[in-house]
Amino acid sequence: MTTVTTNRRGWFGNLFSVTKSLWAGLRVTMSYFVKPGTVITLQYPLQKDDLPDRHRGIHFLETEKCIMCWKCARACPVDCIDIEGTRDGEVDGAFQGKGVVMTRFTIDYSRCIFCNLCCEPCPEECIHMGQEFDYSAWDREGTVKSLLHNQVFDAGLKAKMLADRGDIKRLADDAAAAKKAKAEAAKKAKEAAAAKAAPPKADGATS
Amino acid sequence: MATKPHTTYGTAAKSAGLGSREAKDIVYRELLNPHHATTYTPARFWVGLFFAAIFVPVVGGLFPVLGTMAGYGLEQISTAGWPKWLAGLWPVARPVIDGLLWVHLIVLFITVFSMFAVWMERKQSAHMQCRTGPMEVGYLDPTIFAFGKRWRVLAPFVGLWRKLFPKASPHGWLQTLADGLKLMAKEDLIPRGADVALFVLAPIIAFLGVFAAYAALPFHGAHFGIAADLDTAVYFIAAISSIEAIGVVMAGWGSNNKWSLLGGIRAATQMVSYELPLGISVLTAIVVAGTLSITEIVDLQYGTWLLGWNVFKSPFLCIAFVVFFVASLAECKRAPFDLPEAESELVSGYHTEYSSMRFSIFFLAEYAAMYVVAAFGVCLFLGGWYTGIGPLDAGMHQFQDFMWNQQGADPRWAIALAKGEVTTGQALSAYGFWNVVGVAALGSFVLIGKTMVLVFFQMAARWTYPRLRLDQIMYFCLKVLLPISLVALVGATVWELLSQGNVFFGLLGGHTHQHWHQAAAAAGAGG
Repeated sequence: MTTVTTNRRGWFGNLFSVTKSLWAGLRVTMSYFVKPGTVITLQYPLQKDDLPDRHRGIHFLETEKCIMCWKCARACPVDCIDIEGTRDGEVDGAFQGKGVVMTRFTIDYSRCIFCNLCCEPCPEECIHMGQEFDYSAWDREGTVKSLLHNQVFDAGLKAKMLADRGDIKRLADDAAAAKKAKAEAAKKAKEAAAAKAAPPKADGATS
Repeated sequence: MATKPHTTYGTAAKSAGLGSREAKDIVYRELLNPHHATTYTPARFWVGLFFAAIFVPVVGGLFPVLGTMAGYGLEQISTAGWPKWLAGLWPVARPVIDGLLWVHLIVLFITVFSMFAVWMERKQSAHMQCRTGPMEVGYLDPTIFAFGKRWRVLAPFVGLWRKLFPKASPHGWLQTLADGLKLMAKEDLIPRGADVALFVLAPIIAFLGVFAAYAALPFHGAHFGIAADLDTAVYFIAAISSIEAIGVVMAGWGSNNKWSLLGGIRAATQMVSYELPLGISVLTAIVVAGTLSITEIVDLQYGTWLLGWNVFKSPFLCIAFVVFFVASLAECKRAPFDLPEAESELVSGYHTEYSSMRFSIFFLAEYAAMYVVAAFGVCLFLGGWYTGIGPLDAGMHQFQDFMWNQQGADPRWAIALAKGEVTTGQALSAYGFWNVVGVAALGSFVLIGKTMVLVFFQMAARWTYPRLRLDQIMYFCLKVLLPISLVALVGATVWELLSQGNVFFGLLGGHTHQHWHQAAAAAGAGG
């Protein structure tokens, strides 16, 4: 058995320093224990961490801005963007873009290399690298995501994208518009109710 | 292109005076994440900690209280009208029935305690390391059955629990149950070349040693608070809980695996070092009390509020308690003395080859041992079932006084008890059933609560300190703890002789041992 050499403090000094260091160690861990605010774990599917603003995740397409110029698809080095459209009027399930009807805007994420080259040539600034990073799918067809109706992004995600991109103004505008519409509807309803209650008297007063 | 940057991420939010982080938080909270409240807040943490702290004392305390009720009831049964052969059989049958009852109560207690302690360890270690630990298991959502075809009708209700209580999280309170079920479903392997007899026996013996120690471990001070109130309980517990080491060595040898063998050897080596300071620190408490009976040792700690507790009685006993606590960590093979199962060195040591139920029995034995050593320490040094609150203690103490010193409620019962005409249970009917049960409930709540505090510190030590090397552990136990415990033993003895059993030489008032000395004198005079 190797000999444990006590340091120059001697037996008692060693005992003292060990006790002190044990206390110091316990103080660190206990200070974390009594402060739940120090917990850094996120409940992943429910909570997500902040990604860098320029994270390259699943694309976010502002469909209403898109003019179907195909520049992004042409720029794509792995040819994973697929756009189809028509100028011949309404098509079921299509999106009415700027003067065109988009019937298809898909990106095959089993091929996409997230190089950002599609976003750079876009004249309308309508395609962005998004923050979403969950590309998983049950089969290969599932990895082809349609950006047309923001299938990847629901309303919440879209709002988050806007926030991520600093589009607070637009968020606020949306909220204000919704509020205004609601207030107007309420006002209308009130007027209608008032009109329903009042008419005979009012008629009598004016005539 | 050059005129406008191709991305405006974050800039508008920042110029709007709203940090992008806050903007994101708002959006997350309001739109994305309805369950955001599963994160910890200080209030939730402390409320959870409170309920966790009283869980084992309340639920675990039910079992000894049930034992008290049953034992009390059994002693009330009179054989007066019985046929002679049956009445003759009763004195034999009663302890057997009582014993079988206690076996089951203790198994239930161990299960409840271990399940909770594993969960508690995971949560506590997590919080000590800025993690959360298990969070999801335990929603008690009936819709988890909606997987099979037959249960399709439940499909619309999937996630009902979360829909009803979107902000509540079970914090993984059933995680241990899930893990246990998983363990039971695992394949039970016996490795080729293993010594089958040893391999199979090892977990049983390891668990047996710990389980047997519960027989002499008190839960509360009212009568029947202990399965077997042995006169040599301290000796019994110290001896029988060492049997666990034999099981560990058997597992190490029988597994035909070098990691297991090394673990077994380490367990044996470690045992010869920690047993000495452990035994001597226990001896210190015995010397002060003058008895080997654990109930008497606890009862002698009654009085003078907190100062009656052995740990506060003299500085030497305080030192002995610290030595006991450190050595008890080694006894139940917990870090920083977890050499036999050192994960980073020996895969998982002596139970490397164990799976399924055999492994879970080893696991159960480890956690049961934690309770044994902690409760042992509480009884020897921390006043057992006494709260340290004078009036409450007086209520609990009257039962001891009644049974041992024939003082209290109804002198006729006490006299009959002294003459041996009635059993203690019958004599206790002078106090009434619910009084006894109340004292039992309070006593077990206090004792188990104190034990949980010690268990908490056992876990805190495990998740704070790094593992010792084998030579360090022997140096530490034999050359540091042993001299300290010897000094504590001699010091406590001298202190006790000089102070005549008074607390701090009588300077702080109150005599801890007075009633006991009186009783001893009375017994001496009577004999």
